[in-house]
Amino acid sequence: MGFEVIARPKGGNVDKMAEKVFYESIKLLGGLRRLIEFRNLTWLPSLAEAAYVVVLKNETLKTYGEIARELGITEQTAKNIVTADEEEVIKYLEGELEERPKDHIAGGIAKMAYRRLKEEGKLDTEEIEIRQEEMNVLDIDWAVHVLAKVRGLDFPASREELVERLGGMIIKGRKIEDILEMIEYPVKSPAELLHKIKLQL
Amino acid sequence: MYRYYELKELESRAPKLFGIPTGTKLDDMFFKIEKEGDRYVKKPLGGIPHLAVINLTGVPDTGKSLLAEQFAITQANAGYKVLYVTVESPANFLYTAMKQRSEAMGVDFSKVESNIVVIDASESDELRENPKALMETMAYAIKEKKVTNTVIDSITGLYEHKEVMARQIVRQFYNFMKRYRQTGVFVSQKRSAQASETAEAAGGLAVAHIVDGTIVLDKKLIESRWDVKLYGLPIGSVLRTIRIDGCRIAPHDPRTWVFEISEIGTIEITVPLDEFIRKSAEEQ
Repeated sequence: MGFEVIARPKGGNVDKMAEKVFYESIKLLGGLRRLIEFRNLTWLPSLAEAAYVVVLKNETLKTYGEIARELGITEQTAKNIVTADEEEVIKYLEGELEERPKDHIAGGIAKMAYRRLKEEGKLDTEEIEIRQEEMNVLDIDWAVHVLAKVRGLDFPASREELVERLGGMIIKGRKIEDILEMIEYPVKSPAELLHKIKLQL
Repeated sequence: MYRYYELKELESRAPKLFGIPTGTKLDDMFFKIEKEGDRYVKKPLGGIPHLAVINLTGVPDTGKSLLAEQFAITQANAGYKVLYVTVESPANFLYTAMKQRSEAMGVDFSKVESNIVVIDASESDELRENPKALMETMAYAIKEKKVTNTVIDSITGLYEHKEVMARQIVRQFYNFMKRYRQTGVFVSQKRSAQASETAEAAGGLAVAHIVDGTIVLDKKLIESRWDVKLYGLPIGSVLRTIRIDGCRIAPHDPRTWVFEISEIGTIEITVPLDEFIRKSAEEQ
């Protein structure tokens, strides 16, 4: 017998949270594809760094010095990220400002992304991972394959586009071509596509 | 979206006023006023107010941790679950101390040990340095173990090298205690520059201003002829005092009381200081 002793932290994951802020930042910029148009590849490491700084500052209450040591950056950089003016950064990205503002651009974006996730309560929600076995049991593995094949396709989509992407698939013993024959077009979104396929099964 | 309440709406959610025993005379020092017939009667709460967060502060070796442990043991022995967050002393030392104290208090240690859950932040940098990680761990323990009382010994240890953040950190833990409906005790240390009898703790007045009430423990070294005459104690001895400095939840005895720490580390609050001095004058 003895006390129950909890010696290790439970819950909360800085890496996961920083990843979420990073992806949300990319979304804010218009997606990964749009990022190429900016022709400024130095942004990605900078965004990753800013995502970590913003999470560490807001979620773990670490000092600038501690954050700088943990990430191997200077204290001043950490400070610039946390104090970046989001409004100015947005104006600059939207072309409203002629000159680049002094604010840390990636910092401004990461701060905005962090705030958005926080407001939506998405920052520290646990992600659920479904494995193949569970997908089989739930009979949804076909949905995952359909989503994988239509990734990057512009919606609304026509029958020809869908046949081109999904051709050859067999869902519950039925050819996808036959199923696609039965549904109405255009299909507005991936979710609608799954719904329409499901109704035919 | 901000909400506002009509005062009446809050009635059903307002906590009932009753005491959570500490196993010391402090239990008689918080009270409530009740109307009986035409008159108002003062009734002891029997403990610190339910759902209050009480700050125990004092210079080193005044008995803060002993009092916090005595509270935890009293509650655990009564069958209530206690979460003990140890920031200074490793869990195994805490175990030995509590075992001895339980024996001294005449309580069943097997009951105590099964009702106390310890988070050992003393040996985990992440728990000590990252308030969010600590609060998530506390939330886990509170939900899993159905904890109703929480002790943090010491809250100062969570911001000792970043005192500028004391207010922010204490506020977060205070709000946490409210959210999880805990009756709590925060132990906080004083810096040597702070007057020993005040409610001020390391990090400035942050702790005392945020929490619901503060209890100040103090010690006076008898070091002059004047002290010997006033207190009736031999030179070199120590006089310990305890005082409820303020409590926003329930009225309390405002006097300074004398207490003793027994050889086995239990706290015995004896008489008010003014009475102690008067008696010693009579005896002389």
